[in-house]
Amino acid sequence: MSAKNVFKLCVIGFCGMAALAFSLVLDTSPAAAHGERSQEPFLRMRTVNWYDTEWVGKSTAVNGIATLKGKFHLSEDWPRAVVKPHRTFLNVGSPSSVFVRLNSKVNGTPMFTSGPMEIGRDYEYEITLKARIPGHHHIHPMFAIKEAGPVAGPGGWMDITGRFSDFTNPIKTLTGETFDSETMGTAIGIGWHLLWGALAVFWVGFFMVRPMFLIRARVLASQGDALLLDPIDRKVGAALLVVTLVLVAIGYFANEAKYPVTVPLQAGETKIKPLPVKANPMVVEVIHAEYDVPGRALRLHLRATNNGDQPVSIGEFTTAGIRFLNKTGQARNLDPNYPAELVAAAGLTMDNDSPISPGATREVKIESKDALWEVQRLVDILHDPDQRFAGLLMSWTDSGERLINPIAAPVLPVFTRMSGV
Amino acid sequence: MFRTAEIIKAAKLPPEGVAMSRHIDYIYFIPILFVTIIGTFHMHFDLLAGDWDFWLDWKDRQWWVVVTPVTAITFCAAIQYYLWVNYRQPFGATLTILALLAGKWVTIVLAWWWWSNYPYNFVMPATLLPSALVLDIVLLLTRSWVITAVVGAWLFAALFYPTNWALFAYSKVPVVVDGQLLSWADYMGFLYVRTGTPEYIRMIEVGSLRTFGGHSTMISAFFAAFASSLMYILWWQFGKFFCTAYFYLTDSRNRTTKVSDVLAYGDLARAERAKLAEGKS
Repeated sequence: MSAKNVFKLCVIGFCGMAALAFSLVLDTSPAAAHGERSQEPFLRMRTVNWYDTEWVGKSTAVNGIATLKGKFHLSEDWPRAVVKPHRTFLNVGSPSSVFVRLNSKVNGTPMFTSGPMEIGRDYEYEITLKARIPGHHHIHPMFAIKEAGPVAGPGGWMDITGRFSDFTNPIKTLTGETFDSETMGTAIGIGWHLLWGALAVFWVGFFMVRPMFLIRARVLASQGDALLLDPIDRKVGAALLVVTLVLVAIGYFANEAKYPVTVPLQAGETKIKPLPVKANPMVVEVIHAEYDVPGRALRLHLRATNNGDQPVSIGEFTTAGIRFLNKTGQARNLDPNYPAELVAAAGLTMDNDSPISPGATREVKIESKDALWEVQRLVDILHDPDQRFAGLLMSWTDSGERLINPIAAPVLPVFTRMSGV
Repeated sequence: MFRTAEIIKAAKLPPEGVAMSRHIDYIYFIPILFVTIIGTFHMHFDLLAGDWDFWLDWKDRQWWVVVTPVTAITFCAAIQYYLWVNYRQPFGATLTILALLAGKWVTIVLAWWWWSNYPYNFVMPATLLPSALVLDIVLLLTRSWVITAVVGAWLFAALFYPTNWALFAYSKVPVVVDGQLLSWADYMGFLYVRTGTPEYIRMIEVGSLRTFGGHSTMISAFFAAFASSLMYILWWQFGKFFCTAYFYLTDSRNRTTKVSDVLAYGDLARAERAKLAEGKS
């Protein structure tokens, strides 16, 4: 090898070492979230509008119970690019099964299998979780739509304390036995695998102790297989055949006797009625919507009509799990446990904050402004194939009743700050 | 006990050649052949039948029973061809399934348990070793790949469900949760959260193998046996195609002949003889 080549190899080796050394100083903290921000904004804003999400049990000991609950509205502005929710499943977004999910109810109906849901309607869910793996975990409700994929809801942090080895989950079956989900069937399964593995290794080893390849190939090519087919191979093979069939029969009939009552996998469909439609005296129509790129604000020009008998104050705009509130919203609907990174507590401003009187129609200019649009990567709406937004506008009557209006419209980008808002 | 001495003598190799052949046996057999089967077949199998084999709540009476043996018999047939036709070794199917399970258990321990924290019982694989043993033994006893395709492959698939009932019968015990009847396997699938695998992904109990009073398992097993026979024939022929060596021999009169043989060195020996014959003429 010439000196030049040695030098080249040294340079390449040095570069490799430098790359490895550099990797040590990079931020290698573990990824704790689930890529929810990578989903396109139109998908997050115009399919499932999550609200009232609660993570009950922010810190739970192993084997303790926590709850994930809330509501969602399936947007009327469902994108054409997304398959309609004919078959859906309410899931949990978590880093592996850090909790086991004991049950899940949507509008009071257990949801063990998937089922259809209706666009334009509201659903209330509650998922009971049992703490399993200690750590600081980011947990989302997740709405999975067949042929469209999962839509992650807002993520909140939940802590689990204690030791994983203490986790148990005993459950009584219909036949009266108690199975622990962590261990039931493990020993018997591994036992059968070891037994069959031992027989298989014996069978291969029976031929492996003798010359296997080159010698046999030479004999086969020159003299045929008469010499290679050793009579003892046939005898051992026949005996092993009998042993195999007998063992299979024993395993089958023993388990038939041990578990006489069995049912097939349940592949049904969960039928869930949506929440009843509440009478809403507030009517909201979007006249114009634009996204102020440098200002990081969604500006809405609305026409709101109050058909009720009480004044109504707008207090919150929520979309894609993030929330923009004004003073009314803070007073009425700000849960201190809601993840602060998803809330712009003073992010909602209006040209006229006064309540809308009964019977009045008013044009309202609203701005929901915060770096959240950037942080949550919703500003990417400018690159979407379908440039529309959707979300929920919440307002309150003087007596405290909450009115929720789904709103949606095309959204235009604005690259310079405009006056008058 | 064995005919080893006679076979070695018949091979007409010098003692150092015999010793070297054993080194080749071990170097080739374990690091190359076995690991190659793990790498190729494990991936192939998991792409086609992986979910039914990974998850407890996918092991249904229709798809699991059909997809698993029909997928597994493919490499078994091809490796059987290679080992039987070239060496008269009757352990091709057993070796293939051993390699598959070796790959499976590496995945289960490292990916499913250590990395993802799913309990072993939730991701316990099925075993096809009894089926593979029977397939190999039928080939050894009959020395006919056609009979093996009809009888052995049929047994390969038919034995799958009763074999695995010993491992998974408990998972079909009923439980009642929130007033809903589920099998234990269904509830395991619900208990252990799979963020990227919602319930509707399961391809279970869908299909028309439902006559004869709901005896879906027997019908599925019979269909799997029939399909496995066909698959065995197809993959035996794949084995033949990929194990067949040939070359073109051109003699002094410029006549080119395609010479086929399953053993390249046999062809080379023949070519050498042909050259010698030409030299003499």
